[in-house]
Amino acid sequence: MQASQARLDGAAGGAAGGGRLLGAPALFVYAGAALAAGLLLAFWYAPVDASSMGFSQKIFYYHVPIAWAALVAFGVAFVSGILYLRSPDLRYDRLGLVGVRLGLLFSLLVMGTGMIWGKVAWGAWWAWEPRLTTFLIACLLYAGYFVLRSMVDEEARRATYAAVFAIIAFVDVPITFFATRFLPEGLHPVVIRAGEAGMEGSMLLSLLVSVLGMSLLLAGLIRLEYAAERLGDEIADLKDRLGEVGL
Amino acid sequence: MSAAAQFSAILRKDLTRELRTREVLVSVFLFVMLSLVIFHYAFASAESDLTFFTGGMLWVTFLFGALLGLNRSFAQEKDEGCLDGLLLCPVDRVTIFLAKTAANLVLLLAIQVVAVPVFTLFFVERSYLGDLPLLAGVVLLADLGICALGTLLATISMNSRARDLLLPVLFLPLIVPLLIAATSATTAVFTGDTGLGDLGVRLVFLVAFDAVFLVAAYGTYDFAIGE
Repeated sequence: MQASQARLDGAAGGAAGGGRLLGAPALFVYAGAALAAGLLLAFWYAPVDASSMGFSQKIFYYHVPIAWAALVAFGVAFVSGILYLRSPDLRYDRLGLVGVRLGLLFSLLVMGTGMIWGKVAWGAWWAWEPRLTTFLIACLLYAGYFVLRSMVDEEARRATYAAVFAIIAFVDVPITFFATRFLPEGLHPVVIRAGEAGMEGSMLLSLLVSVLGMSLLLAGLIRLEYAAERLGDEIADLKDRLGEVGL
Repeated sequence: MSAAAQFSAILRKDLTRELRTREVLVSVFLFVMLSLVIFHYAFASAESDLTFFTGGMLWVTFLFGALLGLNRSFAQEKDEGCLDGLLLCPVDRVTIFLAKTAANLVLLLAIQVVAVPVFTLFFVERSYLGDLPLLAGVVLLADLGICALGTLLATISMNSRARDLLLPVLFLPLIVPLLIAATSATTAVFTGDTGLGDLGVRLVFLVAFDAVFLVAAYGTYDFAIGE
């Protein structure tokens, strides 16, 4: 029991980050600083967009980094899926679960911020625009990941299936994005693409600072969630053992 | 036994079993026919022209029909213990995947050979005989994608609780890109809008989709089917 207690303390310390430079709390501090700097740059350094989008374009300094973080999180799940299939270690399964969960959360935020912008730009909350639609399908797809997990009881099998599905889902997302462009665009104008000609250096810098901040936030959340998952597993394990000795 | 012989043995077994019971063929075919009738009453009014929805109606029907069949393709194997026997044989797992995919493909095609002419009779006003090879290409490529991805996911969902609930939840969002391409390509054939530019892009897209998911299934099937 003492050994378990020590391990639990260690895990709790890991969750809190223990003042390390790369612990979750430290990452949140960096992320907060970078995101605040990104916002300041977006509003006071980057110029108001010269095209028809005008001031509403400012949401892109928030919207694009969130989309980036969502894709990175799904990418983390994809890579941990491959790693798990190569060597079945439950740590990779945990990391994959955390990646999908955070990816789903960020995807919902992408749709939320996208809809706010759409209301301003198009006058409608929802438009079947390729990017927005891709994130909607990704949300439905990765929601299925949790249904899958909940329907397989055996731990190793659940982890294997989750890994296979995370791999296939990540492959499917860019294909979906490509396919949605086959559809007629309808009445709505095509969104100006970041990175195309017309993006000024000051805009790019502001965007990159926000992307950095959002990436740090994602890293901190992954660390925190991962530690929480590990503690959860440990508690379940301890409960099992308590049950075995009849306590 | 070579891989090709194993492949044809498993395929023959599946098709023989289906021909003896005709469970999937009959019920999925009926389902497809009923869907067409329901579509008619759901969408038709005196002056409506459904031509621009034909591709969508056709593929929604086939997609849901295929789902029914895919669910069954492993249900019996699992329930009757045939799958355990199959896994005990010295057969490469990928061979099982390919044979199962081929069996599902044959059944789906058998249904479509009857269903597409009936669909044409019901809903398509244009005679598209000249573009028939194009339509056949679209149907074949889309079917291959549906069966490859469907067989992989059916394998996963058969080992879960509530497998018939899980399969659509996993399968439908993944198949959306294929549905988009197949739908617009089929509508193009039915409306006579067969300029090769747009249609060609969709055909290439379907080939790419099939290739990507065949490779993905090839790489992961070992894990999906389990020990």
